[in-house]
Amino acid sequence: MSDAFVQLSDLTLSYGKSVAVPNLDLSIREGELIALLGPSGCGKTTTMRSIAGLLAPTGGTITIDGRDVTRVPANKRGIGLVFQSYALFPHLTAFENVAFGLRLQKLPEAEIKARTEEGLATVGLTGFEKRKPAEMSGGQQQRVALARSLVMRPKVLLLDEPLSNLDARLRLEMRTELQRVQKETGITMVFVTHDQAEALALADRIVLMKDGKIEQLGTPSDLYARPATAFAAEFMGFENIFRVEGTEVVTAKGRLPLEARPESPILAWRPDAVTVGSGPHEGRVAACSFAGAHREYVIDSALGPIKADAAIALPEVALGETIRFDLPLSTARGLAA
Amino acid sequence: MRHLATWSILGLTLTFLIGPFLIIILAGASATDYLAFPPEGLTLKWYLKVFTVESFRASFALSMALAIFGTFMALLLGVPAAYALNRYDLPGAETLRTIVAAPIIVPGIIVGLALLRYMVVPTGVTVTLALFMAHTALVLPYAVRVVSSSMTNLRADMEEAAVLLGCSRLQAFTKVVLPNIRGGVLAAFILGFVTSFNQVPVSLFLSGPGVRTLPIDMLAYMEITFDPSVAALSALLAFMSLAIVFTAERLLGFSRYV
Amino acid sequence: MFRNTREGLALALPAAIFSTLLFLVPVGILLSEAFRSGGSWSLQGYIDFFSTPLNRTVFLRTLKLGVLVAGTAAVIGYAAAFCIVNLGPKSRGKVFGMVVLPLMISPVARTYAWIVILGRTGIVNEAITGLGLSDTPLRLLFTETAVFLGLLQLFLPLMIISLVSAMENIPRDVIPAARVLGASWIAVFFKVILPLTKEGLVIGGTLVFTGALTAYITPAILGGSKVLMLETLLYQRVNVSNDFVSASVIAMILIVMSFSANLLLKRIATARS
Ligand SMILES: Nc1ncnc2c1ncn2[C@@H]1O[C@H](COP(=O)(O)OP(=O)(O)OP(=O)(O)O)[C@@H](O)[C@H]1O
Ligand SMILES: [Mg+2]
Repeated sequence: MSDAFVQLSDLTLSYGKSVAVPNLDLSIREGELIALLGPSGCGKTTTMRSIAGLLAPTGGTITIDGRDVTRVPANKRGIGLVFQSYALFPHLTAFENVAFGLRLQKLPEAEIKARTEEGLATVGLTGFEKRKPAEMSGGQQQRVALARSLVMRPKVLLLDEPLSNLDARLRLEMRTELQRVQKETGITMVFVTHDQAEALALADRIVLMKDGKIEQLGTPSDLYARPATAFAAEFMGFENIFRVEGTEVVTAKGRLPLEARPESPILAWRPDAVTVGSGPHEGRVAACSFAGAHREYVIDSALGPIKADAAIALPEVALGETIRFDLPLSTARGLAA
Repeated sequence: MRHLATWSILGLTLTFLIGPFLIIILAGASATDYLAFPPEGLTLKWYLKVFTVESFRASFALSMALAIFGTFMALLLGVPAAYALNRYDLPGAETLRTIVAAPIIVPGIIVGLALLRYMVVPTGVTVTLALFMAHTALVLPYAVRVVSSSMTNLRADMEEAAVLLGCSRLQAFTKVVLPNIRGGVLAAFILGFVTSFNQVPVSLFLSGPGVRTLPIDMLAYMEITFDPSVAALSALLAFMSLAIVFTAERLLGFSRYV
Repeated sequence: MFRNTREGLALALPAAIFSTLLFLVPVGILLSEAFRSGGSWSLQGYIDFFSTPLNRTVFLRTLKLGVLVAGTAAVIGYAAAFCIVNLGPKSRGKVFGMVVLPLMISPVARTYAWIVILGRTGIVNEAITGLGLSDTPLRLLFTETAVFLGLLQLFLPLMIISLVSAMENIPRDVIPAARVLGASWIAVFFKVILPLTKEGLVIGGTLVFTGALTAYITPAILGGSKVLMLETLLYQRVNVSNDFVSASVIAMILIVMSFSANLLLKRIATARS
């Protein structure tokens, strides 16, 4: 791939004898905002640490900007990393934390001051210069950590769950802020998240990982509309996933007929793709909650629980009452086995 | 009633623990030229005499030097060891820990004797050097323990962050680790200093002509002289230790580390 | 970043090597000396040592004083620690400080005080003769009592510190709850306090017992050659008669006693739960 800015080729990462990430291939374009998405323990942090140079791979190569950096020490790679745990220096103030890397470069004092203040302003922490990490909230610390990496203007900025400790409002604000900074500076960014909504909202492309392997890679709209596997579908909010046998969908509990014979071995429906209030099937309402524009039902069916969203206009069905529903083939997403 | 019982128990205990020092201070000020308590007449002459006894001056200097350089050396060895044992997943880490902690388990008198017999005698190393090494070995376990405990809360990712911001490994240590364990290192130094300075058994056999640590010298002096100057010197030493500990406590909350 | 084992070893090994060369090796040789006394490996050194009555007396005395000091320290320690833990936060820090402070002071100074107290012209004898209880001063120094007092004063703080930190970990309200349920103070002690603080007792007990065994200054100053303990005996053997085999035996006894005390106390502590 000629346009790859960061290229991981056949990268294997292990802790002692246990392999955390086997044979990973990934190329990231310059200026791209990539989200690493996946469940806990799937190797997101591990991958980031190896790109940063903190974890030597046991196999494969890492190329950045056309240069093989596999053996280049971490302090010579020009990569920024915002740690999951912030890793602020407890003995230094917010200002000195952010200025730390600039001071090492022996920049003129005026420039250090200007860039540090600008960095703190970017993350909305003007006025917090003199605070020590212990005197700041988790979210504020996280933002100091972000500013500390940003002011270094790294070639690649890695962020390990950079927004996990912020409240909902700040999170949205910082999301926009991150996107703005990224577009303005053109820094290539890779950020880790558990949260599919965050990945969908922010990323140019999403790398979905499972057990150290890439499960699927694509743009947010790609992944959202066309997950390739049951795992990906589940992550993208397809809450009803069933195996197909002939013209029926099957679970361990039971089976329901479909209107025709589908081509895929697995079918998945988002809650809003399930028809509620009419249809060939019946179930009992096991739970119902109001969610603003719609009602979220859990229907106890022959297949077990089915999650379905009903328009608010439909009359509410009480708990324990029977409700009709349909799993239409037209709204189903077919998945590979 | 409860109060009375509490304070009488504590009063008795503290009298037992601290009373003797008050007695010693006064005994050193007795005008008699033998030990007497209550003192008969008060004088400062014994306190002053302490400073004129040549052997005390020499042994004080030796004890000081041993305590300072021995502890310094122990930290030089102990800080990297504590660091490595905390940061790295070393094969045989438990064995290493035990080896480094071993001098604390074995009675000092045995260490001193063993060094005299199997190091000083066969290799011709000077007694002073042997003393220096013995005191280093003695303080090493404290250095490792105290520094270790101040390092446990210091996460490794801080150093990684420093390296990513451009530090070399050594710079990451001096700029990030050291400032955060400074209190522990200082506490280890003080604890080591006091331990070394007050140490007797290790130095018992390691003495030669003109080479005696202060406590050993005091023991020798006691055997031939019965005047109150040893009491005076004891009181002075107690004050010195207390001054050091108080300063340390004020400056860095020393007791957290003991 | 910290996965390079060689780097880690390079940092840890100097201390370990230093400790091995300057400490483990010489002490090991010394300990082996008793087994090589007759030119070949044997237990003869030990047999000879224990066949001397004086040696047996000293051994038993050391054991006895160690147990007595540790036991007394435990009794006083529980009382004092209980009082300290129940003090208000302000006086608690101060009292605790006063308990810790003596540890920082030269044991020579700490022991010498007892000469002033127990000597012929010391405070106790002045009182006795002053009150006319006796015409001539009593011999109080160079007795087991003097050594016992000296050792107790030296090591009591270690016991109190261990017990205080153990008691601080007793959950609040456990003791009042037991009292409300009708337990007497004695029952509270044996059923609640003791089981919950036995870790501290094991640590404190080991420290005090080991300390008492291996103290040199106190038996030297307060016991002299009349009340020899193992450490002073060792010193005598080496200095007076160049007897390194006895020294080696005593060294081994001291080490074995310290270790077994720790193991025994641990065993007792775990057997109860
Ligand atoms: N220091 C380590 N030593 C041994 N195994 C480790 C170490 N760090 C991580 N692992 C293992 O490697 C795998 C990947 O871990 P990693 O930290 O990369 O997961 P993650 O995707 O970042 O998870 P999370 O979302 O919880 O942060 C896990 O199975 C983990 O148990
Ligand atoms: Mg992680």
